[in-house]
Amino acid sequence: MRRVACAARPDWRAKAAECGFGFHTIDDAPYWDESAYYAFSLRQIEQDIEAPSEELHAMALDMVERIVGSERHMQQLAIPEPYRDWIAQSWRQRDPHLYGRLDFAYDGSGPAKLYELNYDTPTSLFEAAFFQWQWLEDQLARGQLPAGSDQFNSIQESLVEALGTIARGIARPFHFAAVRDSAEDQGTVAYLRDCALQAGIDCGLLAIEDIGLSEDGRFTDLDDQVIGCLFKLYPLEDLFRESFGAYLPRAGMQLIEPPWKALLSNKGILPLLWEAHPGHPNLLPAAFDDGGELPRGWVRKPLHSREGANVAMRLDDGRTLATSGPYDGPCIRQACHPLSAFDGHHPLLGSWVVGDRACGLGIREDSTLITQDSARFVPHAIVEEARGVLIA
Amino acid sequence: MKRSKTAALLLMSTAPLLLTACDRNESREGLYTSVEACVAQTNDRDTCQQAFAKAEQDAVATAPRFASREACEANYGKEQCAERNDGANHSFFGPLMTGFFLSQMMRNGAAMNGFNSAPAFRDSNGGWQRPAAGAGAGGVYRGGAGTAMVPVNATPNRAVTVSRSGFGRSGSSRSFGG
Repeated sequence: MRRVACAARPDWRAKAAECGFGFHTIDDAPYWDESAYYAFSLRQIEQDIEAPSEELHAMALDMVERIVGSERHMQQLAIPEPYRDWIAQSWRQRDPHLYGRLDFAYDGSGPAKLYELNYDTPTSLFEAAFFQWQWLEDQLARGQLPAGSDQFNSIQESLVEALGTIARGIARPFHFAAVRDSAEDQGTVAYLRDCALQAGIDCGLLAIEDIGLSEDGRFTDLDDQVIGCLFKLYPLEDLFRESFGAYLPRAGMQLIEPPWKALLSNKGILPLLWEAHPGHPNLLPAAFDDGGELPRGWVRKPLHSREGANVAMRLDDGRTLATSGPYDGPCIRQACHPLSAFDGHHPLLGSWVVGDRACGLGIREDSTLITQDSARFVPHAIVEEARGVLIA
Repeated sequence: MKRSKTAALLLMSTAPLLLTACDRNESREGLYTSVEACVAQTNDRDTCQQAFAKAEQDAVATAPRFASREACEANYGKEQCAERNDGANHSFFGPLMTGFFLSQMMRNGAAMNGFNSAPAFRDSNGGWQRPAAGAGAGGVYRGGAGTAMVPVNATPNRAVTVSRSGFGRSGSSRSFGG
């Protein structure tokens, strides 16, 4: 694994505009950054990222089965009581899920270590699945990459295939919803809707704020049609605590990601996984936080923090790093395993799982050890390894 | 190759794209509790019998599985469950098929050759369920114990909206995703 400087495509901004990628620059700061890429060997991708992703995904789904049967675990994950039976039911009837992203610390040597699962509202999807793919094709054509370079990225193919597979089980009308004023979220749902259309599924777009409630407690779209299925790029735990939330369990509206994903997008899954698979090479030691002082070599994260907010990190040398943010409530602890630096950048690997298949990689790098919303998306390529040492 | 062979966009792209209008063939779908009920509706005894037979065969493979009769009956009602065997000497309990779906493509009002069928089960609340598409079918989704069951929606789909904006207060979301 190497970080390789590389000339950006001169026309990449025009290409971004052409495909509706409007959030490549956020608040005047670059987000999409193709001045460099990360180069991996095929072996690194297949053995160190793809295989562990599939294994951890399977372990996570097995864990859902255990959590829904345990009031204690539901309590540990701070799942609000009124939603527990509904969540369990959504698992028992295997409400279809679409995607998730596992975040790994990895630098090319040793096992990738799981930081967390983003299994409810994983973003950076469009840039990983589409724009990164286009970057590779363009740079191959321009001769900027070694001939035969590849990319771990069949995300879009897998999305279309997954949506086609679950199409018959998706109740209609089917809407993709996100917060109205978020360009990034709107871009992401527009992309997912595009994939659904490619899978032959008729579907629409809806702002989360425009969802209506009927007298008999069902959810409606702007035409007063009862929503059959809602893809929501909006955290389940936020839906739960908002004013319409109480209607969810009885409204009969199908959700994607489904309610049972609330158990996996929760950092409480990390101590539970560690407890069930102690010493697993891809897991970091983790425990529920008791609120005491954070020992050296540990990180504290709230159950629901996103984008690296409200994380406290106590390094081995005693230094403490902390980020601010809006999240509070119960926390977990995870053994500190700092990201390696490549030319002063700290890459966090997002390994995508669509359906149940590990199918792609997106990398975000930050200048600090805690990856936050300031992190930039940097593309990657699979490049043939140099062939060992020549023996003269 | 580890990447998508092609990645196109339909609506997001501003590049002009020719969409061929496809033949909009209608389909006919019904949920029937017996072959007779199916024949009465479709006037096609052969297809109804074949659909029933195939659904019955699929029911064993796709019905939800329970470790005990009690667990099964809690979901599907008294006397509605049977012991089954997966062929590898593992036995389990599953609901009895209580109906079947038949769907056919129609052209000019007549059914075309071929059909899809699926078993239907009735839960203890009287709601109908069918196995989800692609259940245990491999591909993107891993097979495995327990098939997804999806409710069959028979409620009317229009309703008077009495309020909006009950979601979205937690707001935007550069805070999501990480």
